[in-house]
Order: sequence, then structure tokens, then C-alpha cells
Amino acid sequence: MKVQVKNLRKEFGKTVAVDDITFSFDSGHVFGFVGPNGAGKTTTMRIIATIEEPTQGDILLNGISVCEEPELARRAVGYVPDTLPAHADITVHEYLDFYARAYGLRGKKRTQAIEAIEEFTNVTGIREKHLKALSKGMKQRVSLGRALVYDPDVLILDEPAAGLDPRARVELRELLMLLAERKKAILISSHILTELTEICNGVVIIERGKILETGTIDDVLKKSAPRRTVAIRLLEGNHHQNPQLLKELLQTPFVVNARDVANEIHFELTGDESAACDILGGLIAKRYKIIEFRQTKANLEDIFMNVTKGGV
Amino acid sequence: MSRASIKSHFTNWREWELNPIVIKELRQAVRSWAVTGMLLLFLTVLFITSLIFLVGQSFEVSENIQLGGSMFSAFVVILAGASIFFIPLYVGVRVAAERQENNPDLLYVSSLSPFRIVLGKFLCGAYMAVLFFSACMPFMAFTNLLRGVDLPTVFLVLALLFLVVCAANMVAIFLACLPMSRPFKYLFVIYGIFQSFGIISTLIGTSFLMMRSGVGAMMTGKDFWIGVATGVGVGAALTGLLFVLTVALVSPPSANRALPVRIYLTASWLAGGLLGFSWVAQTGDASRMLAWTYPTFGVMMFALLATVSNADQLSQRVRRTIPHARWKRALAFVFYNGAAGGLIWVAGILVATFLITDEVVTAFPKSYATTAANEHWFATTTAYAFAYALSALIIHRRFLSRRPPKLAGLLTVLLAGAWAIVPSIGLFFLNQLSWKSVEGLQLGNVFNVAFLRDDGQLLYHLYFAFSWLLVMLVINAGWFMRQVRIFQPPVPVPVENAPPAPK
Repeated sequence: MKVQVKNLRKEFGKTVAVDDITFSFDSGHVFGFVGPNGAGKTTTMRIIATIEEPTQGDILLNGISVCEEPELARRAVGYVPDTLPAHADITVHEYLDFYARAYGLRGKKRTQAIEAIEEFTNVTGIREKHLKALSKGMKQRVSLGRALVYDPDVLILDEPAAGLDPRARVELRELLMLLAERKKAILISSHILTELTEICNGVVIIERGKILETGTIDDVLKKSAPRRTVAIRLLEGNHHQNPQLLKELLQTPFVVNARDVANEIHFELTGDESAACDILGGLIAKRYKIIEFRQTKANLEDIFMNVTKGGV
Repeated sequence: MSRASIKSHFTNWREWELNPIVIKELRQAVRSWAVTGMLLLFLTVLFITSLIFLVGQSFEVSENIQLGGSMFSAFVVILAGASIFFIPLYVGVRVAAERQENNPDLLYVSSLSPFRIVLGKFLCGAYMAVLFFSACMPFMAFTNLLRGVDLPTVFLVLALLFLVVCAANMVAIFLACLPMSRPFKYLFVIYGIFQSFGIISTLIGTSFLMMRSGVGAMMTGKDFWIGVATGVGVGAALTGLLFVLTVALVSPPSANRALPVRIYLTASWLAGGLLGFSWVAQTGDASRMLAWTYPTFGVMMFALLATVSNADQLSQRVRRTIPHARWKRALAFVFYNGAAGGLIWVAGILVATFLITDEVVTAFPKSYATTAANEHWFATTTAYAFAYALSALIIHRRFLSRRPPKLAGLLTVLLAGAWAIVPSIGLFFLNQLSWKSVEGLQLGNVFNVAFLRDDGQLLYHLYFAFSWLLVMLVINAGWFMRQVRIFQPPVPVPVENAPPAPK
């Protein structure tokens, strides 16, 4: 399944929520969709889920247009909104059963699908509870279950981790990884960027309705943060060598901005990994007692802070 | 649907399942405190009412042979009050809550078709009505034992009340689906509650009348059944119209929303015309035909407003269904989305209505007091309506083309309203405003046609309206021809570039 967002634009009166954005992602990919509040993430996701209509542009799901064939496109998309709609007087099981029926699952097939989803999303123990009585984390599970009950090829998750406790977040992350293994194309928006770095293959950074960066995580990292930071820690009791080490590093090629940070020496490496290897070898040869030599790559959070201006 | 799929549908009857919306809604209703509470309150009121009647009777010296009838009347009032107020309100509120924009409306992102969604909501209301009626049934059966009311009356009154509740449910669903803000919907609810009082009192009046006369005695007469059938038919037609309109509202904007509505209205118009004519043929009274002519005129005026609110551009999915054959395409142009085709459709129906009415009046002249003024009134009003609509279309195209097309419908109303009000405001400031001035000739004001003091001046309105319409037709001719030209199926994409077929 290939999801292609093409020149998408959405206006609400005079406000341009999404301004000519284009990106695509595939089956088995988890794509992060990040941006400040009001950047146009939810609007884009709602358009993919056929809830909103774009002012211009289109989204193709394996060639099926969400504007022209919303009913057909809907079959391929599972949408998890940031909050579960407040349906009153209905239990978790009945809620999932309704969506399974709505998507045409019948008889035994429906029963099996619901049971499998209840187990997968770990809601079997709360299946007879009312939706309104659920905690935020449980609602997110039910919402994910609802989106998965008819086995869609594309999953659109809008802030699924918001308000979840650490354990629930870890579980959600594991669920998403499992789904990616099952060849689902996943678009996920979240403000918890460290988590996205761990689970996403690609990322779209959006601000004021425009795309700032898009591509695989590695490409974006290379493009937006070509330098990597290296930290060196000497063996306990040898910190008096730090000024000397600092001096040494400042004269070494591919090293810039060397500084002492809390008993560690940090510097930015302008060369590749072999340059780092040479630097480490040189320092050991000069009998520095190095206990730790680590590279800290820029993460999504760093890139996000670099490329966005925080405007709405 | 192919013949084979219809056959397999019926042969696999064991796999038939209820509409998922009905199942969901009924499950929710059963768990809802509102429904349970209302049902308990309803039963309590019925029980107390029965007790009051029976205990009251025990204090009477003489036996009341009409006790059953009196009790039945009281039960009808309670049942009508409970079901006409509560059930439509409950159904409407649920639909409105699911249609709220700030609540990601996941019900409408399922693969259920708009038709099934609306049908599900409607059936849920009907099931709830059955629930309330079933609760009331033992009490009503009991009244028959006390004499004063015959069984046919009981059944007929209940059947009519049930149909009214179903129609009220459809009104509630339609209003809940209208793309309006919450305050407007609240205003409609308040209006609906007031309107319900009228419906209930009419219904109760009718049922009292039936009880007094006794339906059993009237059932042998043909006129009784014609009356019942006409009432039920008109009610069903209006409910059907609201159903079709609601389906159109729930459908995605890229769908061919106009097609089912225009087909339904055309079919109803034809059926109504045939019934009207058969009525005239039986009675020989041509004025009976007006029972079809006037409602057609009213409905078509609303249709005209909706038509000019259509967008000019057809979505790709609608274009894909445009037939290649010329005559089929011409027919599709009239029935598909689009203002140009819609104008032809409205004009066609109105002209046909006037011509048929005129022919019938000529053929059955004995009791129809027709005047030239009547014909002028129809022609002038129609010409004005089209002139306003075409003017609004030009204004929208020239000055507001970036605004949504529904603005053209609003402009039509505003034009008519402004032309009616502005002269009066001018006269007010000139201290010339009087009833006499309102009755005087105000060319361009469609409402003035109905209030003219001098019928002879109607001709001036007629000439003015048709001149204006002619000018608008000439100005809009280019746009209209363009719409006809572009109403073509899309050019097929070469096979190698075609998107992969959907699963």
C-alpha cells in the first residue's frame, strides 16, 4: 500500500491550515508527523481519514483518491483520533462489534476478528466496561482496536501517546512495531519525539501548514545535523588531564568546538566515523586513560528545534 | 445490482444481518437512563391514569358506558405526548451529537453507505416507537373491555399515531443532519416542540372524531379509505422526501447528491399528477387538480434555491458515471449535480405542471372558476423566481466565485427580500408608507404580485418579470452552453498509466 499526499491544501475561511504539502509513505513504514501545535497535522490526518475534504490537492491510497472515492478509501484507512469520540451507553465489546459489522464482517469471522483485536490491544479484561468509564490509556487502546478491527492497510494515529503513562507508552510502541512488521503503512503524530526516533523510519516536519523537512530519519538527520557530538570521559581520578586533553583535541583535525562539560570533554566531529576512530587511537597512544568514548547523534528533537520556529 | 447478486442475496437469507446502526442504537437505548426512565415514567402515568378513571367510576351512581372510550382518549393523549416529544428528540440529539464537527465523527468514516446510516437511524426510531406502543398496548386493550370504543378505532388510531411518530423521527434526523451551528439547531428544537403541540392536538382531535363516529361503521365506505390512503400517502411522500434529502446531506460532497433527490421528486410529482387527474376524472371537478399544482409550485421554489446552490464543477466520480450516448447524457445533465441542469429540471417540471393543469381545466370546465389573473399570477411569480436565481448566479460567478456555491442560493433569497423591503424603507423615510402604497405597483417585487390592489396591473408585473428573465437568460447563455459542453465523461487514462485497481 502506497500513500501519496499530493499538493494538499486546506483552508478554513481565510486560514490556511495546510499549504501545498506533498509526501508519501509505504507499507511497513512508520512515518512520524511532527510539528508545533496548529501546524496542520490533525487536519492532514483527518483528510487522509476522509473526515475532511481538501480545498486543493488529493491523497491517493494505492491510486484510490480519498476525495473522489471516499467510501472505497475508507476501507483502507484506520484512523485513531487524539480522543475517542464520547459514545454514551455502549461497552467496549459492543463498540468494536459495531465497527466490525459496519465494515461488513459477518458471523464467526466477526467474532474471531473482535476476539483477536481485543487480545492484541489487551482490552479483553475491560470488554464489558462502558466506554465513558475508561481511563485515557484504555480509551486509546480501544480506539486503536476500533481502527484495526477490519484490518486496514493504512493506520493514521493522531497523538496516540498523549496522556499515557510510561508503561502504556512502551506497550503502544511495541504494538506499533508489531503492526509495521505486519506491513501496515503507519502515519503517527506525536510531541514525544524521542519515542518517534525509536519507532519511525521516516518523518515529516510541518509548521504553519508547510513541510519543512521530509524523508527517512537518517536522511533528515544527515541533512539537518551533519555534525555529530562526541563525548570523552577519562577514568575516575584522571580528570586533572582534562585541560591537556582539551588542548590536544583543539589541534586535532575534524574536531571543532571542544569544551569541558561536567568532567567530560565534548567536541563536534566534522569528519566521518573513521576520523573518530583515528582520534580515539591517537589519544590511547598518548596514554590517556579513556573509559568512555561515545558519539551522540542528533535526534529528532534536536532537528525539530533547529528547523521549526515555533510559529502557529 | 446484477440479477445474480440479487438471487444470491435471497438464497443466502440465513446470513442476513440487521443494519449495524440499528443494533448499536438499540443497545445504547437499552442502556440509556433517558429511555429507561422515560419508559418507566410513561408506564407509571398510564397506571395512575387507569386508577383515577376506575376509582372515579366506583364513586359514580350510574354506570358510565363510555368509560372505555374516555380512558382510551386519555391514553392516546399520553402516548402521543410521550412518543411525539421524546422519541424524535432522543433520535435527533443522538444524530446531532454524532455529526458534531469537533467530535471526530467516526460513525461516518465507516464503510456504511449514507443510505444505510439514515435508514438505521430511522429504523431505530421506529423500533423505539414500537417499544412505547407495546408498553401502552395492555392498557389500551383493557379499554376495549370497558366499552365505549371499538377495536378498529383502537387499531387505526394507533397505526396513524405510529406513522406520525415515524415521520416526526425523520424530521428530527433531517434537522440534526443539516449543516448548521448548534444555536440554530436549538432554535429548530424549540420550534419543533411548539410544532409538536399542533401535531398532537390535531391528532387527538382526529382520534376523538374517529371514536365518536366509530371507525367500524365508517370502514365500509370507500370515501373513508380514500381519505386514509391520501393522508398516509402524503405523509409517506413527505417522509420519503426528508429521507432522500438526509441521505444527500450525509453523502460526501463528491457524490452525485442531486440525482436521488431529483429522481424522487420527479417520481412523486408524476404519481401526484396521476392521482390528481384520477380524482378530477372521478368527480369531474377540475379544481381538485390544484391539490397537485400548488404543492408542486411550492416544492419547486425550494428546489430552485437548492439548485442554484449547486457547484458548477462536477467531481471526477460523478463525471465517470456520465453516459456516452447523447440522449442518455442529456437526461443525466438534467438529473445530475449542477446548477445548469437543475434549472432545466425545475423549469421543465413547472412548465409541465402549468400546461397539464391548464389542459385539465379546459377538459373539465364545469366547476373550476379559473381566471386570467390566476394564470398571470403563476407565470409572473415563476418568472420572478427564475430571474432572481439567474441574477444571483451571475453575481456569484462575477464577484464571489471564490466563495462556496451555496451563497448563490442565499443571494437569491436576499435579492427577493431586498427588492421587497427597500422600496418600503424608502417610502417610510419619505413618510409615504401606507397600506395603500404597499398595494400599489412595485415592479421587481415578487411579493407585490400577491398584494396588488388593481388586478389589471398584474400585466405590468408579467411583462417586467419576463423582460428581466429574458435579459438574465441572454447574459447566462454563455455559461449555460459551457456547462452543457463540459458535461462529458472523462477521457480514459491510457492503460499503462492507470492507477492500480482497488482491492
